[in-house]
Amino acid sequence: MSSSPVAGPAPTGPTSGPGTGPLGQAAPDPSRGPGRRAPRIRPVSAGPRPGPRRRVLRHWPQYLAISPYYLLFSVFMLFPVLYTVYLAFQKWDGIGEMQFVGFQQFRFLWDDPVFWMSIRNTLVIWVLSTVPMLFMALVLAVLVNSTKRFTAFYRVCLFIPSITSLVAIAIFFGAVFSNNFGLINAILRGLHLSAVPWMSNEWTIKLVIATLMTWQWTGYNAIIYLAGLQAIPSELYEAARMDGAGPVRIFFSITIPLLRPIILFTVVISTVTGLQSFTEPQVLFGSDAATNPNSGGPGQAGLTTLLYFYHQAFDNNDFGYGAAIVWAFFLLILLIVLVNWRLVQRKERRP
Amino acid sequence: MDLSRRRFLQAAVLTAAAAGATAACGGGSASSGSKDSKNLTFWYWAGGLSDKVVADAKTHFSDITLKTSVVGGDFKTKLLTGLRAAQTAPDITGIKGEDIASFLPNANRFVDLNTVGAKKLTPDYLAWKLKQATTQDGKLIGFPIDIGPCATFYREDLFAKAGLPTDPVKVSAELSTWDDYFKVGVELHKAVPKTYLVNNIGSVFSMIVGQGTRRFIDEDNTFIGDQDHIRTAWTTAVKPYTLGIDAKINDNTWNAAIGNGTLGTELGAAWHALDISNAAPGTKGQWRVASLPGGASNLGGSFLAIPATSGNPEEAFKIISWILSPENQARGFTDAALFPTAPAAYKLPALTGGDAFFGGQKTIEIFGPAAEKIPAAYEAPADAAVSAPYYAELTSIEAKGKDPDQAWKDAVSQAKQIAQRQGVK
Repeated sequence: MSSSPVAGPAPTGPTSGPGTGPLGQAAPDPSRGPGRRAPRIRPVSAGPRPGPRRRVLRHWPQYLAISPYYLLFSVFMLFPVLYTVYLAFQKWDGIGEMQFVGFQQFRFLWDDPVFWMSIRNTLVIWVLSTVPMLFMALVLAVLVNSTKRFTAFYRVCLFIPSITSLVAIAIFFGAVFSNNFGLINAILRGLHLSAVPWMSNEWTIKLVIATLMTWQWTGYNAIIYLAGLQAIPSELYEAARMDGAGPVRIFFSITIPLLRPIILFTVVISTVTGLQSFTEPQVLFGSDAATNPNSGGPGQAGLTTLLYFYHQAFDNNDFGYGAAIVWAFFLLILLIVLVNWRLVQRKERRP
Repeated sequence: MDLSRRRFLQAAVLTAAAAGATAACGGGSASSGSKDSKNLTFWYWAGGLSDKVVADAKTHFSDITLKTSVVGGDFKTKLLTGLRAAQTAPDITGIKGEDIASFLPNANRFVDLNTVGAKKLTPDYLAWKLKQATTQDGKLIGFPIDIGPCATFYREDLFAKAGLPTDPVKVSAELSTWDDYFKVGVELHKAVPKTYLVNNIGSVFSMIVGQGTRRFIDEDNTFIGDQDHIRTAWTTAVKPYTLGIDAKINDNTWNAAIGNGTLGTELGAAWHALDISNAAPGTKGQWRVASLPGGASNLGGSFLAIPATSGNPEEAFKIISWILSPENQARGFTDAALFPTAPAAYKLPALTGGDAFFGGQKTIEIFGPAAEKIPAAYEAPADAAVSAPYYAELTSIEAKGKDPDQAWKDAVSQAKQIAQRQGVK
């Protein structure tokens, strides 16, 4: 290591002096500030190919230290992801021979009304959950930000739902919204109102799933907003108040514009996670039925795209078709994220 | 700085070495486990066999070390994954009744049980059940653990309230056809307004399909789900919905409904008795069992199989046939409500006794004859996948009030698409 002329991270920048560097580097030396700069200049003069390979070798202990994550990532995430690309062009039942079928799975996908219905279900559930969730999170964050006492307590309360087991929540919501014997219908009956068939109506099924997701993730987003709020200088609020702005005006004219990057972040994250709803409908609507498992409940109203993928791959053992479903869905998520990004970004540039 | 880095590296190298060694050990023991003819691994699921019989099998075959794993979660997926390599595959495994057809195209992954001594035992077991595990060229890949002969469970007290016959023999006679059954349902609902006849129409549909010899795909791998036998089953299944005697339960409220008198009858297999008694212990003594309207039908019933990589197929089959002997099947009935597949067991005291939950009724008088009358149907590998849209559309009728004729058209067109994807003509 020490024999190489380019070696050594040269962390001693200013103290290394003109004498240690190659002759050609003498001129810029005095202006050289932090030592970090040095390696960037040096390779240019140190021969045609100092090579990234060399640099990898030089930093091998660091690479070794971070390697476990990347090894696990490539074995358990990267390889399976790439493998599904291959699978999407095959017909395969899991143990038999694979058979190359070209784009046939995608052609099936195009003609499959259940696939398109699952996309519609997913989008409706996503809108029903994300919009109220982010709005309520913002309001909650502003409220908590303005409190002086028990702030730590509120933060813990907000965070707890997001680390609660999803299966437990789904079972609990199933009991609360149950058609005949649920808590909500018991209250409605107690108030002499007619009970709502929450778990069998096409729209209320989606509403129940969206409510579950909202309940779980509102607090998490509120915590992120809270962090963003604390970065807004208090002088701005004072100035607004001096100019006679009320709390609502301040919220819309100061808080929201300054939080825009944070809002963009939560919108992207909520889009990616909200479109991947799977456990909620799977637990709510019997996954263990022998005749028709994972069908998404009455009228398939809770059949999200990922649940449909799971049903095709693991109940019907049609792994090629399952892979085609997730790749088509991946493209859709990508599209929606890009649209979101564009919408929020453009507004930011305008002022 | 230097020192700590060196120490860090040492630690990292040691950790890596340890991880490698563990992995190597793991690999070694697993491969020796399945190649060894004296150590056999055995997979089944909780409730899939009588745990007492399995424990006795370990002592009975003392020269073999039987290592049992009660596999939780999605059993089929885990078995599919396990079968991919000899090291991970079990030597004996359970296969659920609803999955057996999907394993038939890969029969070469299993030992043909006829080659290890099943041939001389098969006459003692129900032929229609063995057919489910037999390939078209005659290989037997699974030996039947249990079956699910279906019957009508009914609430004697509610029937009495409605002035209907209450004795199982009379009820069975009264309910000989589906139309008779629905007529009784209308009377029952009129007399006791909160009581419905069936929990959902999907259950009626599956019973009627099970009463025929043809299902959704025939032996020539042709889709027949649009033909008269399925259309008739559909039309009959929709009747309770139009008559207003369908409770439309498609969620987890069944448990409560069965206990509070919302359901006056329940169609189900013999093992379903356990679900009812678990969900509604308070109704003990009020239920009775009558035969199924329209003939015998089966729902479920699992198998034991030997993967082709098994270390000792002969010994494995000896263990299987011991666990599934008529005497041990009778114990399975007592311990885990597994209805025997060997008719000889129906005469044993464990089955001929009265059941207190059913007011002391000897339920074998209903289930025994039903078990032997179940038609031998051809169930294609893609049968479950192709039948799914019919059940989904039946729930659409119940949930959205979808027009039954439109639902039928949608179900058939979806089923055809799935059939095409699954390589059915």
